[in-house]
Amino acid sequence: MKYAYHPGNVAHSSAPEVATTMTTLCYALGIELVPLAGATSCGAGIVRQANRRLQLTLNARTFAAAEAAGLDILTPCAATAGNLAEDLATLKSDQILLQEVNEVLSKTCDLTMSGEVSVHHLLHVLVDEIGLDKVEEKVRNPIDFVVAGYYGPNMQQAGACGGDDVYDPDYFEQLISILGGTPVQWEGRVQSVGVPGLFSEEPTVLKQAAEVLSEAKAEGADLIVSACNLSHGVLDVYQGKAGRNTGLATNIPVIHLCEMLSFALGNHNNRLAQLRTRIAVIGD
Amino acid sequence: MAIISVWIEEGCITCDVCEETLPEVFEVTEDTCFIKAESRVDGGHDCNEGKAELKPEIIAEFHDDLLDAADGCPVDVIIIVESGEAATVEVEEAAISEAEAVTVAEPIAAEPIEIAGDDIEELLSVGDRGLSILFGSQSGNSEELAAKWAKLAANYGLEGAVHDMDGFDLASLSSMKRVLIVCSTWGEGEMPDNAEELWLAANTAGAPSLAGVHFSVCALGDTSYEFYCQSGIEWDERFEALGATRLLERVDCDVDYDAPAAAWASDALAAMAAVDGTGVFHEDMVEAVKAHAAGDEGGADGEDGFTVPNLAAEPLHTEISIFRYDPTAASTGVDTWVCALPGHMSVLAALREIKNTHDGTLSFRDGAVDDQSTAICVNGRLILPGNVRLDSVAPIREGTLALRIDPLPGFEVIRDLVVDHWSLERKRESSKPWMVAATREGFATSQATIGTMDPVVANALHSITDFSSAPLLHASSDAVPHANGYLGPAVLVTAWARRNDPRSSDNSVASLDTLLGSSNGIKAETDLVSIRRQNGQGVVVADALLDAKTSVLAQNGFNGRHGKHVWWYTWTLKSSGKVNDTVIYRQVLGPAGLLGNLTSGVTARMVTGFTRTGGDMFYDMLALVAPPAGLGKMPRQFNSSVDKHHEVVAIFNELDGRF
Repeated sequence: MKYAYHPGNVAHSSAPEVATTMTTLCYALGIELVPLAGATSCGAGIVRQANRRLQLTLNARTFAAAEAAGLDILTPCAATAGNLAEDLATLKSDQILLQEVNEVLSKTCDLTMSGEVSVHHLLHVLVDEIGLDKVEEKVRNPIDFVVAGYYGPNMQQAGACGGDDVYDPDYFEQLISILGGTPVQWEGRVQSVGVPGLFSEEPTVLKQAAEVLSEAKAEGADLIVSACNLSHGVLDVYQGKAGRNTGLATNIPVIHLCEMLSFALGNHNNRLAQLRTRIAVIGD
Repeated sequence: MAIISVWIEEGCITCDVCEETLPEVFEVTEDTCFIKAESRVDGGHDCNEGKAELKPEIIAEFHDDLLDAADGCPVDVIIIVESGEAATVEVEEAAISEAEAVTVAEPIAAEPIEIAGDDIEELLSVGDRGLSILFGSQSGNSEELAAKWAKLAANYGLEGAVHDMDGFDLASLSSMKRVLIVCSTWGEGEMPDNAEELWLAANTAGAPSLAGVHFSVCALGDTSYEFYCQSGIEWDERFEALGATRLLERVDCDVDYDAPAAAWASDALAAMAAVDGTGVFHEDMVEAVKAHAAGDEGGADGEDGFTVPNLAAEPLHTEISIFRYDPTAASTGVDTWVCALPGHMSVLAALREIKNTHDGTLSFRDGAVDDQSTAICVNGRLILPGNVRLDSVAPIREGTLALRIDPLPGFEVIRDLVVDHWSLERKRESSKPWMVAATREGFATSQATIGTMDPVVANALHSITDFSSAPLLHASSDAVPHANGYLGPAVLVTAWARRNDPRSSDNSVASLDTLLGSSNGIKAETDLVSIRRQNGQGVVVADALLDAKTSVLAQNGFNGRHGKHVWWYTWTLKSSGKVNDTVIYRQVLGPAGLLGNLTSGVTARMVTGFTRTGGDMFYDMLALVAPPAGLGKMPRQFNSSVDKHHEVVAIFNELDGRF
């Protein structure tokens, strides 16, 4: 199983744990990652606010590179999966637009894209392609916690969520179960925490984040596991400020899907020990 | 096949042949022929059009003579009634506590209708297809079920007839081939009022033999009573004692009887349908009958060679959990109903059903299927409940449709699922959506001068405002519940359409631009994805709002935090192909913002990776020369460029020279 790997926006920078655990978990599951070394940021829904055609063309360049390698794209970031899937669908549904974008690509990069590529989030590859029974066979360290799986809204769009349901997904819960954890049923799992508005609408974003965090706690979760690198950052770094601003209980460990999976597959045992400690000490 | 009765049709010519053949049974009168009282179970003396049974000893002794008499009738008015079941029949007379066993001396081989292999159509169409459904009811539940099953019977090739036990002629039962009984229990194990008389009759010595009758019983009751389903139990035992054949075990239903009763009816109707027109039960055909009734017969062939599948309305096992709020007691909670509902039923119809049959206090906005005020949230999906079928509103997992129904988010809840739309109306009013039109050219018509609009523009404007429900669209934004003043997508997309309407005056456009660019305008929307993911209209609206945002940012020259965020995000992308968080933090927040992050603990959490499992504390040499960069989860100060970065720069230069 071989994919063109797009690490998402911040795995190279403020979320290095995603990059390292993605490598180890893919090795354990037999997924070969071929780096898309020229791939740019997906735009995170922000670049398109300045210029929609610009974000489309930058992502078209990424699609063209994957097509040239003959590979589909795999990413551990829900925002990247959602944005890329959205732009790919836009390009494939409008042949005139695709032709215009290809003209720019051809002129600037000597590339064109056909649309014969698809974008997958890691979660959907695990369930739809690898199969949870195969993943379960490789579990070495059961994640014996009560876990709130956070999908975020980006990949919960029609055409971007694999075989899962757009509004009422359960892939994450299935995965948590076979890894030895107890999944939490909660509404906040697909709600936005407002990442694109973090800097400009911070009070609103903090309320959005606080609601998600507090709901997970109220439902008895020991930790939140995020499928989105960007939302992960907000849920982690801003959780103290969110709690103080709203008065809600927000202290809860937040890790990324890649971390949970990699730990369960027997990697980074010291980090799993850290996680156990953090679960024991963080909270009310 | 066993003979159970004989009767005389109209048209007898009084030729005396039958009487000469079998004087023990036939008596020719002046104008017709009678079946003698001595030969009949009911003691009647007439043509026996009610098909009362012959006494077993008569049948046993004169079986062949009966057939000879019928064959010898020159006008074929002697009708022999046969059954597939000829065996020992015990007649238990419970009322007098005596048992009298009546044995048919010589079982007679049955001759069922020949069903050719899988010829289900023949089974379901030939001969008598009557099904009698008797109900004993105190509150109406049994009667309601009987009526429902009588309608369903047609799907099984049966002609269902509902009979009230009150006034029902017990003697007529003996000539029936298929009988279903649904009976509730009243008080301490008592029969319902309408069943008492029939029950007494069934327990007298003169009760008819029910040999040849196929039956099954659905008993309704309440487990909180000692004599749970007692009436149904007694009918079940009594029918068996009178010689009837039980095709399906009795089902005992508690107060939530819908699901078990529906499951029983499905099996019972199939079994009854497998009794052929002469009264022979074909057990091997029951499954085929079920498949036939479910429409699983390959569908109809279309003219172009494709097959049109048959549609089956299978009941769905449904668990409906509904948010409840009582403003008087200021209490909230969730009520759950477990029921079997048809998949094609709309969510609104299901709510009505619950309200009408289980909880009259349940409150929701009712209305036409496209009434925008009826919008609710089902499993995280925002819908107009009259427009969405149960089997398509949410995934069915492990055979169960589990629905969580909540009021629309972002609105104040009045009661249960009813929300107050007034906050949206106030915002809509404050946006001044009325038309302030510019003077422009037009065509003179007989009515007046009318303007024209480019069809492309007209179509675009229409499509972005053609959302089904303003409350639903308003609630689709995850920012709405948390940003008090935010006007919301429904108001803003309408304002954006008006702003781009070529009929709008310059002053109106300027006013709308101000509205859109205000702190409560489009910049207050933190994430358009939450709108985009809610149904097909969400995509159109989110794209329109993105255009509005782009327009507002360009007008403001990318000033303010929002503009700077977009600007510097895009700028860093051009610089390296990757986002540079450090640059964005510094440029957007400025010194005051960074200081705020220091004091609020945000920076500390970045450095420590507070809740995360970390990895290397120092992951970059920059940590040594320019701390805190390269520490913990602090974003890098400098990015390495992506491969062929010059291509990225070339794309920027080609498409947007501002960066």
